[in-house]
Amino acid sequence: MALGDLEREIMTVLWETYLPMTVREVHQELARERHRDLAYTTVMTVLDRLAKKGVVRQIKDGRAYKYAPMQSRAEMTAALMMDALSGTPDQDAALAHFVGRLPPEALRAALEAIQRQG
Amino acid sequence: MTALLLGALGLTLSLIVPGPLARAHWPDRAPAAAVLLWQAITLAAVLSALGVVLAAPEELTRALGSGKPVAAAALIGALAVAAVIVLRLLVSLWGVSRRSRARRARHRLLVDLLDRAEQRQELDAGHVRVLQGNLPLAYCVPGREARVVLSDGALRLLDREQVDAVLAHEQTHLRHRHEVVMESFTAFYRAVPAALRSRAPLDAVHLLLEMVADDAASKRTGPAPLRGALERLTDAVPLAEEVMPEEDSRRRRTARLAAPQRPSRMLTGAVVAAAVALLVLPTVILVVPWLGQALAVWPL
Ligand SMILES: [Zn+2]
Repeated sequence: MALGDLEREIMTVLWETYLPMTVREVHQELARERHRDLAYTTVMTVLDRLAKKGVVRQIKDGRAYKYAPMQSRAEMTAALMMDALSGTPDQDAALAHFVGRLPPEALRAALEAIQRQG
Repeated sequence: MTALLLGALGLTLSLIVPGPLARAHWPDRAPAAAVLLWQAITLAAVLSALGVVLAAPEELTRALGSGKPVAAAALIGALAVAAVIVLRLLVSLWGVSRRSRARRARHRLLVDLLDRAEQRQELDAGHVRVLQGNLPLAYCVPGREARVVLSDGALRLLDREQVDAVLAHEQTHLRHRHEVVMESFTAFYRAVPAALRSRAPLDAVHLLLEMVADDAASKRTGPAPLRGALERLTDAVPLAEEVMPEEDSRRRRTARLAAPQRPSRMLTGAVVAAAVALLVLPTVILVVPWLGQALAVWPL
């Protein structure tokens, strides 16, 4: 299993469980619900990597660490979309859009309008 | 004389030419060549500015008839100014590409984590990522590990053919490294002092690159699905008044797709020739004869 898929699956477990989880809990959840038979240390390494990248929070709980996502899935998605569609044109050649960028006010209005519909 | 002529050329290229060229519609028929022309214009303007700076001291000392120490001082001053121009451009380019790389890396990380892999099974393209959300969205994250990102709002809005057209469009951006072109124009824009800079080249090149990608995509899927995708995606997102330039560029793209014209070989050839001439002629006509004189006078 590729590292990228592994990271995504572990994030999905954390997002769906909602409460902070220990490495062991994540490991068990992956085996039981997703039939992923991974080494305990692999899960630990991936959680560590995700924490280093700033998408997962490490919480000290007694002698063990618990892990929780920095943002809910919906929050992170909204922030990413916001970032993708905003940005002043002169500072940004980073992404290429199919249709044009929106100014921040228009973007907020668009996000709200669409969230209301859905 | 050389410095004056080069100065006039540089000012013409950076202040007079961009406006009308950005408004002209003929580049729509040869977008790739037009991008090349914009690159030549920008580069020739930079070279002219450097030429002025380097030619000025020699011409001044010749006109004023001063001695060697003055000539040497003027030459050193000129070299310093030229170095500042070059350095400013390089620093700007470095900054833009570093910031773009960081933003892309962050985007790649997050879209990989947020990806709803189950929604893109039938797309069978390994680098496509699908974000959950109603806001219709289609963009690409260039780089060595490039990604094309769609929202499931966009997937619901578009039919299969239209999705393929959008993917083909984005793949063209990635394959032709359009981000490098955009980065260089952005860097140039930011390096020019605020009072002199103009957005015209940046916006014009951006639109031309969209047209290049549209052309490549419609070669694969035909123009109709692409036009449909363009219309559906923009109609779904209410554009505000202040983004009229975006609105205008969308109209120009849609118009080309509605009445596809054969790419004009003649026009393309003429534009490429003009671009090459812009880079070569000033050197041959102005700089080479001047260099002969200057070498005799310069305190080397
Ligand atoms: Zn595009």
